[in-house]
Amino acid sequence: MSWAADGGAFGPSAAGDTARYGPRRVRSVSSALSVAGAGVIWLALLGPVIALLAHSSPHAIVSGLSAPGALGPLVVSLESGALTLAVLLVLGTPLGWLLAAGKLPVPRIWEAGILAMLLLPPLVIGLLLVFMVGPDTPAGALLGSLHLSATNTFLALVVAEVYEAAPYYVVGAQAAFSGVDPRLEDQAALLGDPPLRVLRRVTLPLAAPGLATALAVAWARAMGAFGAVIIIAYHPYGLPLQIWTSLQETGLPSALPFALVLLVVALPLPLAAYCWSARARRRHRG
Amino acid sequence: MLDVDIEVDRREFTVAARLSVAPGEKLALFGPSGAGKTTVLEAIAGLVPPKRGRIAVAGRTLTRTERPRRSVPPWRRRVGLLRQQPALFPHLSVRQNLGYAPGAAARVTEMADLARQLGIEGLLDARPAALSGGQAHRVALARLLLAHCDALLLDEPYTGLDPGSRRQLTALLRDLVSARHVPAVLVAHELAEAQAFADQIAVLDRGAVVQVAPPDEVVLRPASRRVAELVGYRGFVPVAAAGLPPSAAAAGEPGNGVRRGPAGAPAAGAAAALPVAGVHPERVRTGAHPGDGIVLSGPVLASRASGAAWEADISVGGTVVCCRFPGRPPGVGERLTFTAVGAPVFGDGGRLVRHAEEVRA
Repeated sequence: MSWAADGGAFGPSAAGDTARYGPRRVRSVSSALSVAGAGVIWLALLGPVIALLAHSSPHAIVSGLSAPGALGPLVVSLESGALTLAVLLVLGTPLGWLLAAGKLPVPRIWEAGILAMLLLPPLVIGLLLVFMVGPDTPAGALLGSLHLSATNTFLALVVAEVYEAAPYYVVGAQAAFSGVDPRLEDQAALLGDPPLRVLRRVTLPLAAPGLATALAVAWARAMGAFGAVIIIAYHPYGLPLQIWTSLQETGLPSALPFALVLLVVALPLPLAAYCWSARARRRHRG
Repeated sequence: MLDVDIEVDRREFTVAARLSVAPGEKLALFGPSGAGKTTVLEAIAGLVPPKRGRIAVAGRTLTRTERPRRSVPPWRRRVGLLRQQPALFPHLSVRQNLGYAPGAAARVTEMADLARQLGIEGLLDARPAALSGGQAHRVALARLLLAHCDALLLDEPYTGLDPGSRRQLTALLRDLVSARHVPAVLVAHELAEAQAFADQIAVLDRGAVVQVAPPDEVVLRPASRRVAELVGYRGFVPVAAAGLPPSAAAAGEPGNGVRRGPAGAPAAGAAAALPVAGVHPERVRTGAHPGDGIVLSGPVLASRASGAAWEADISVGGTVVCCRFPGRPPGVGERLTFTAVGAPVFGDGGRLVRHAEEVRA
C-alpha cells in the first residue's frame, strides 16, 4: 500500500522507485508526527504535575505532612489498597481464568455483568452499595450480627475499592489467560502434567505479565477510588478523601502535599509492573 | 503394542480407524489434507473423545466406550505427541523444556546424549525464542523422547521446514524412534515422507483406512483407483485403449487379499464401468517393452522441464496421461510410444483387478 501515500501520481513504471523511496519518506513523516503526538500527551500529563510541583514549596509540603495525624490517610490508603489487591488476586484471578478458558456456563452473562461494573460511574456504584451492604439490608444485617459494618468503616472502604477496581482486574486477567496458547497446555498435559500442575507450571507463568499489568491498573484504581468511597466510606479518610476535605476546608495549598503523596504512592507499583511485564513479554517472544 | 479400533465423529464424515502397531514398528498414516489423520492421533492422545471403540497401549486400555467404560486422561496416557508447532514452553530454557516431563530432568546422561545426537548441546541454556525453526523442532523431539512414552505420535512434525532440514530430521526421527522399541505413528500428507519414516503405510481417505501395506507396495499395488490417485498415479487409460482384451481384466479376481476400500466406489465414478490401467508419471519407460508393462502410444500435447527431468502430457485413447522422462520428449503433436511399467488395472468399483502382466498371462 506504499503507493497510496504518494498520492498515486506516479505511473506503474515508478512502482519500483516508490517501493524503494516512498516508504522511507512516509516513515520519517509518520515518525515525526508520532513523536509530536506523544509530545502533546506528555505535555498534557506533565504540565499539571510541573505546576503542582511549582506551587508546592518544600516547606509547605514538610509542614503539611508533619502535622499530627497527617500520615494517617496514607496508611489507610496503603492498607486498604493492599487488602483490595489481595481480594482481587484471590477472587478475580480464578474468575478471569474461568472466563478465558470458557469453563463458565453462559459466559456472556458474566461478561455483561463485569462490563456493567466497568461502565457504571463510581458515584452510582457507591449508591448501589448503600442499597446492598447498608445497615438496613440483609448483607448489612449479616455483617451486623458479626459486629461488623460496611458503612463508614475500613471494611466499607475496602468494599468500595474492590468494586471500583475489580472489573479492571478481571478484564485484564481474562485477556492475560486468553493469550496463553492452548497447545502449550495440551503439550504439558501430554508430557504428564495433571490440570493443576499445568496451571502452575505453564498457564500462570505465561499469564503473569498480563496479570501484573492488570494488577497495576487495579492498584491505581483502588488508590484513587473516590466516587464510591465518598458515599459509603467517608470515614476513615484515605488519601483521595483527605485531598477532597483539605481542598474543601482549607483550600488548594493544603491539599497539594497529599496530592503529591498520592502520586508518589500510586504510580511506582504500576510502573514497575509495566516494566517487568514488558521485559517478560519480550523474553518470551525473543 | 498400540491397538486402535475407533470411530470418531467429525462434521463431514466419521473417521473409522483400525490399526495395530507393534513395539518398534513405525506406521505412517498417509492421506490427503482433511482425511482425518490428525483426528486419529488426537483420539489416541486423549484430546478428542471417540464415539465408539477401544484404544490400548502396552497392555493398558486407555479408551473403551463399551462397558466397563474407560477414558484415561491425557496426562496419564504416557502417549507422546509431536505436532507441526514445536510448542516449546517460552518461559523455560531449552534445558528446562527437555526436563519438563516428570522424571525427565533426572535423566542427565540421556539428555546429554540426545542433545549431542540432535546437535543442540550448545543451546541448552538458550530461550526457545532464540532458536531457529529447525532447532526448535529438534528440542521438541528430544523433549518428547525424554518423556519415555509408551507410544509416539508424530503429526506432520516437519511440514513447515525447508526440504533439506525436513529430510534430515525425518531420518533422525526414524533412527531415534527405532532405538526406543515403542510403537510410533507418523501422520504425513506427502508419500515420500511417509516412506522415509515407516515400515507400514496406512492410507486414509475421508476417514477410512483404505489400504495398509509396506511403503513400496502402496505404489506398486494400490488397492483401489482412489489409493492410486493418492500415491501419485495421474493417468487412467481404458484397458481397451491399451491393447488388452477388456474381458481379461474384467474377469479377474479381486487381487491378492487386498480389501475393497469404501473410497473406491464413489471416487471412481463414471470410469468404474470400464477397466482402466493406472499410469504413474515416474513409472514409465520410453519405447515398447511389452514384458515390463502396458505399451501405450499417443501424440504429445505438451511438455515442460520439471526438476532434472521432463514432463509430457500425452493423449492416449482419449485420456491425457502425464509422464516423466529422463530425456527431452518429442515435440508437440509427434507420436510417443512408452511403457507404463507394472501398471495396475482397476476394474468395476475402482478396485485393483490385477497387474497388466498377469492379465496378459
